[in-house]
Amino acid sequence: MEAAATSLECQGVVRKFGGLVALKDVSLSIAPGQIYGLVGPNGSGKTTLVNAVTGFYPPQQGRILFEGRDITGRKPHTVAKLGIARTFQNLALFRGMSVLDNIMMGRHIHMRPRALSTLLYWWWAQRDEIREREVVEEVIDFLQLQDVRSEPIETVPLGLQKRIELARALVAQPRLLILDEPMAGMNQEEKEYMARFILDAREERGLTVLLIEHHMDVVAAICDQMTVLCYGEKIAEGRPADALADQKVIEAYLGSRNRHAA
Amino acid sequence: MFYRLSGIKHVSYAADRQLWPVPFDRYLVIAAVILGITAPFYLSPLYLGSYMLPWIIWATAALSLNLLMGWAGQIHLGFAAVMAIGAYSAIHLARAGVPFELALLLAGLLSALIGMIFGAAALRVKGLYLAVSTLAMQYMIDWIISHVPAISGGSQATLQTPVIRILGFPVDSDAGRYWVALAVCALVTIFMLNVKRTSFGRALVAVREKDFAAAIIGVNPFYYKLVAFWVSSFLGGVSGAVLAFCYYRAVTPEQFHLDVSIQAVAMVIVGGMGSILGSFFGAALVLLAPIVLNNFVGWFVAAIGLSLSPEVLALIPLILYGGLIVGFLLFEPLGLAKIYDNIRNYFLVWPFRHARR
Ligand SMILES: Nc1ncnc2c1ncn2[C@@H]1O[C@H](COP(=O)(O)OP(=O)(O)OP(=O)(O)O)[C@@H](O)[C@H]1O
Ligand SMILES: [Mg+2]
Repeated sequence: MEAAATSLECQGVVRKFGGLVALKDVSLSIAPGQIYGLVGPNGSGKTTLVNAVTGFYPPQQGRILFEGRDITGRKPHTVAKLGIARTFQNLALFRGMSVLDNIMMGRHIHMRPRALSTLLYWWWAQRDEIREREVVEEVIDFLQLQDVRSEPIETVPLGLQKRIELARALVAQPRLLILDEPMAGMNQEEKEYMARFILDAREERGLTVLLIEHHMDVVAAICDQMTVLCYGEKIAEGRPADALADQKVIEAYLGSRNRHAA
Repeated sequence: MFYRLSGIKHVSYAADRQLWPVPFDRYLVIAAVILGITAPFYLSPLYLGSYMLPWIIWATAALSLNLLMGWAGQIHLGFAAVMAIGAYSAIHLARAGVPFELALLLAGLLSALIGMIFGAAALRVKGLYLAVSTLAMQYMIDWIISHVPAISGGSQATLQTPVIRILGFPVDSDAGRYWVALAVCALVTIFMLNVKRTSFGRALVAVREKDFAAAIIGVNPFYYKLVAFWVSSFLGGVSGAVLAFCYYRAVTPEQFHLDVSIQAVAMVIVGGMGSILGSFFGAALVLLAPIVLNNFVGWFVAAIGLSLSPEVLALIPLILYGGLIVGFLLFEPLGLAKIYDNIRNYFLVWPFRHARR
């Protein structure tokens, strides 16, 4: 298959919630292999854009293309098969499962879950489980999660849970990975780890990454291109050094900071 | 102590995923299986027929319902209706000359089909509304069964089950019927044990816990809830048929009314949602509690010399029984299985008490 010219493309996306316009005519285009930053003050519509792409809140206007294919309005559960994976801003791991099972869940689209194969486990499901386990163990090694593998997910510290969610997204072997604030609540060391994982993931797996992040130092350091949203509108775009120096962006951030102070 | 985790190393993924990694648990299971198979030899026919047999069958039914409630997180207040469909279809099929094994399978399929149709309708709503729509299923099936003579054999009718034939051989002894029930129970238990370690079971739990997170990794939440209804109803239908053939040896509509549905739900909750061992505990407690409470109340009332009307006497055990269930919901929502787990955990880490979790 020849490589598509663009990975993700949004064309004039509009999303309203009642009277509130969360996204106003947002367009962006991500080239394959890029780490693409998406930033903006709180409530500027970053998560809403991701929700539009992944089908949770389909846009009311505009189109979304993935590798040249129109995926506007697809159901969320069909998006994974296309090669898109995402993590959530607020952790969305499955309680009541071990860390390993949570990560195994990420292999779902590659497995054959059947009631009958479950009954005939030893002759049927086991082979599937073991084959996929190998893929999962690779990612566990990559993200250094060996020690917590068999712990119940509730007992794992928050910073690690973020990494586990990244693992769950990675094992699906997506081509586009969307990370919604993967470093929220992390200390400097954990942030550096996470940034390293993202860079390595792109290097080793040829991923395209859409990264939502509030830590501008990280965005400036690892993103190739970025877009800045403010009140649902795109106010700047380009390489981090240029976009972050844009007057409108500075005002948006200063403005929001002033509002917070008030 | 007897439980030891140290020194147990798994060198393959298959071994890591075995059902009972701790050797002592394995010995317990082997002992339980041997005791189960040989029960007819050491239990009196009375105990076998009126305690062991219904316990095994109800544990099967509780396991089936637990798949839906414990794993998929969907409540079902009409499970007795599902069992009734299984019982009635098996009986009619067997009377029409269909071999028992096949009748059991077809009964399961029919229950699954009807259960799933109701499930599909019920799944459009959530929580309390789901509970109410499954309740509606209970009443509709009840009504249909008692008002269609072709099914119930006329109002107030009792249909006798024909003799069970396995591979053509008649099974017409208490022990034989017990073993049939035990075999079905074993199959369902094996299935449920495996649910814990396959992508199928994980998908159910994922949908229960966070349906949006499940969706984004490619799990269709509605589909899996529906499949849970399908499989649970299939197994429920089979257990209903086994209940009719092996225990009652006859069917009447009264055997599958709402109180029976509530009983099944109680077994799952008291035993422990999402626990296999719990379904066995729950079935035992729910079956035994009324008997024990009845005797106890009778004894107590006589002991303190109260004279109560029979109606009140009949009600008190029910009240205590309701209190028991409320108590579990309040104090140990994870059920008897959790209590067992706590004890096991105590020994597992003994003497390092701080390592308990
Ligand atoms: N489901 C919803 N219903 C109604 N309004 C919503 C919904 N989701 C988002 N919004 C609104 O849309 C706007 C954009 O929200 P969004 O979550 O996309 O912001 P964000 O950029 O991700 O912010 P943050 O940095 O806090 O995560 C907000 O005003 C929010 O209140
Ligand atoms: Mg957000």
